[in-house]
Amino acid sequence: MRSRSFLGLLPWSLCFAVFGLVPLLAALLLSFYFMNPLRPDLTHWVGAANYARALGSPAFWHALRTTAIFVVGTLPVTLLLAYIVAALLGRLRRGEAFFRAAIFFPATLSMVVIALIFKSLYAEQGLLNGWLEALGSPPVHWLQDPRLALPSIMAMDVWASVGYYAILILAGRKTLPVEQLEAARLEGMRTLEIERRIILPHVKPVLLFVVLLNTVRSFQIFIEVFVLTRGGPLDSTLTLVYHLYERAFYHFEMGYACAIAYLLLLLVGAILLVQRRLVARAPGEIPRASAVTQAPVEAPAL
Amino acid sequence: MNSAGANRVGRNRAGWALSAFVLLSLAPLIYMARVSLGVGNSLPIAPSDWWGGGFSLDHYRAIGPGSGMGRFALNSLVVTGIAVPLQILLSAAAGHALARGRIRAQGLYLGLATAFLILPRQVTLVPLYLLFAKLGLLDTYAGLILPHLADPFGVLFMAHYYQTMSPELEEAARTDGWSPGAIFWRIVLPLSGPGLAVVGVNGFLTTWNAFLHPLVLTTSESMRTLPVGLALFAQSEHSVDWGALLAGSTLATAPVVLAFLLFQRQIVEGLLQGSGR
Repeated sequence: MRSRSFLGLLPWSLCFAVFGLVPLLAALLLSFYFMNPLRPDLTHWVGAANYARALGSPAFWHALRTTAIFVVGTLPVTLLLAYIVAALLGRLRRGEAFFRAAIFFPATLSMVVIALIFKSLYAEQGLLNGWLEALGSPPVHWLQDPRLALPSIMAMDVWASVGYYAILILAGRKTLPVEQLEAARLEGMRTLEIERRIILPHVKPVLLFVVLLNTVRSFQIFIEVFVLTRGGPLDSTLTLVYHLYERAFYHFEMGYACAIAYLLLLLVGAILLVQRRLVARAPGEIPRASAVTQAPVEAPAL
Repeated sequence: MNSAGANRVGRNRAGWALSAFVLLSLAPLIYMARVSLGVGNSLPIAPSDWWGGGFSLDHYRAIGPGSGMGRFALNSLVVTGIAVPLQILLSAAAGHALARGRIRAQGLYLGLATAFLILPRQVTLVPLYLLFAKLGLLDTYAGLILPHLADPFGVLFMAHYYQTMSPELEEAARTDGWSPGAIFWRIVLPLSGPGLAVVGVNGFLTTWNAFLHPLVLTTSESMRTLPVGLALFAQSEHSVDWGALLAGSTLATAPVVLAFLLFQRQIVEGLLQGSGR
């Protein structure tokens, strides 16, 4: 029995080990080396020097700060809009399936495609500037102005993620027993009161989950920056992962890039630890994929 | 008073507000399709350009077979077409083994797989690049496909799926003397349709939309996948050919729309359970 099970597990385990675990550990090892693939002869152990360099580097802190601004700026807006959309969806009696599908759809799109569409909207001769011109105002350099580039990317990110989180929150709302809502209504509670006193406390775990998931994801943003601004202008959109990518594949500082990657890993790990404290899981079952992310929601019956 | 009439008004308002949200969430896509069907290279701006301004398939002809974009699309099709069925098979086999077998390190397996699901994948980027460079897998289909086979989502999803599926049929077949292979192929797999649909369609989305790894693991233009090709196409020239670019984007979006229309329920279930990160 044991050996047979092992056979089924073997192919995936091999792939997982070679393309997952080994690279993960290799990155840790590499982070302690100087390593340039163009000059393999120069590879040598440098101890914690890469980490010291990152922590002393203005570019690293700048990238971290940019990423933090991104998180702090997008999260409340995304959360609020997603909550409103979920509340509206929950109030619909007919046509919910259509609205839900239309609002959720952007979550399945390639981020490259989303970024390219927004690049065309933000272009000098693009739609937004066309509208501004019609209103009699001069064109705005959405992606070329260091003050506007990051907010422009953030606005796009909000657009791209509201639907996804709205569906998560909606799933949380649906786990509220209908009887409880009916009872509150019979007691004469008004819609907003029900929302505030019954629904909001009920979906609080989901909201917490959305906050942490969105934070973790935002720490990894890369495609948006790659397509729209390449980290510029004047490094105003230089995020952590873009910084890592640049160091590794433009400057070939592979060891240093791995140190940045592990600092990112530590950050995300710390965020998840906080979350683990805040959200408990029912013990004793095979964790669902969502258990790591600790989604407190089941897939809703759609 | 909370009369039925007031309630209906509230619901109507919800409908109108949602319509506005829907319009907002779909408008950029409609704009993409409109530009891709336009004439010439300028972006339509005024509302009159949206309806007037001429329609043509010029941009699609420009990115048809034989063009660079056609090649990117072919690469994406090959990678997705090979990776996803393999993902499905590996996930079913490993998920089943984890759920049914008495594997000593089961907890370790599940723990590692779950940890991998959430940690930033960018961490494996540099070692994978160096490994593939050493193995000569840069710029090959194998190099583009293999990293996708390590994705733990499908295995975790299927392990849970099989845990909630009754083992009675399998046990009956075993007492009848069926081999484990026959049980897996002829009983387990045919009963796994709903679960494998979730794994398959989410595997399709992550593979088809993948960007960072394909970007780094390809060096020549002819091996780029559609997202990588599009992103670099947008930067290659001084003035961007918006028509061709958004036609390519539409091309990259069409299969996603199709998958969404056919498998919306499975996509939502997968995303809610941690795939597609």
